[in-house]
Amino acid sequence: MTRSVAITLNALGLYAISLVLAAAFAAQLLLHELPCPLCLLQRIQFALLAIGPIMNVRWGPRASHYALSLFAAAAGFAFSTRQVLLHILPGDPGYGTALLGYHYYTLALIGFALSIVLIGAMLLFDRQFEPEAAPKFDAPDLFATCAVWLVIALTALNVVSTLLECGFGACADNPVVYELLRRW
Amino acid sequence: MEFTALFLAAVVVMLAAWRGSRQLALGLFALVIAASLATYLHHATDTLKLSF
Repeated sequence: MTRSVAITLNALGLYAISLVLAAAFAAQLLLHELPCPLCLLQRIQFALLAIGPIMNVRWGPRASHYALSLFAAAAGFAFSTRQVLLHILPGDPGYGTALLGYHYYTLALIGFALSIVLIGAMLLFDRQFEPEAAPKFDAPDLFATCAVWLVIALTALNVVSTLLECGFGACADNPVVYELLRRW
Repeated sequence: MEFTALFLAAVVVMLAAWRGSRQLALGLFALVIAASLATYLHHATDTLKLSF
């Protein structure tokens, strides 16, 4: 796998993370279901998962950049496992609506597990890390640049959404209203 | 409030990774992942309200 193919695959990874963040937003807005604190923590890990690909697009593929994504995916895996275990008892309806038969935290667990496998697969290809014969700085193309700004914009929207939901205090365990919009 | 701060910190790390220096982005990432683990552990040790 050449360096440019690896960068394109990293940009595709950023679009995939954007899709996850956008789908979570869509469920929040269309189904009027506010994310719980543990759900927010999982969203944050999806956002942190994007740091590695952003650095690969900007600085070129490096094993240390993939390591950042692995740390974020491992943390997200642990957080979503905890939430699955909280709702594992028979008769527990789970938190929120099930999408395609799975609750969001179960889908998140699958997503983080898949990320770990895909990052491992990317690390198998050594050629992407080889220095170029004639080192030169290639500005990221439009496809990769759009992917980076899309994921940054979606994370910034989460800042606004979480501020509206939690206000300036601690987030409710089971939020049902946006704290900052309560007066309106 | 801590979740808003964590999302904001994630945006700052992304901007540092895209526009700033590599070392800065790596350092900030370490801080944010440590903060999110600390937030998780803080909530994980909350008393569960169970009644049997």
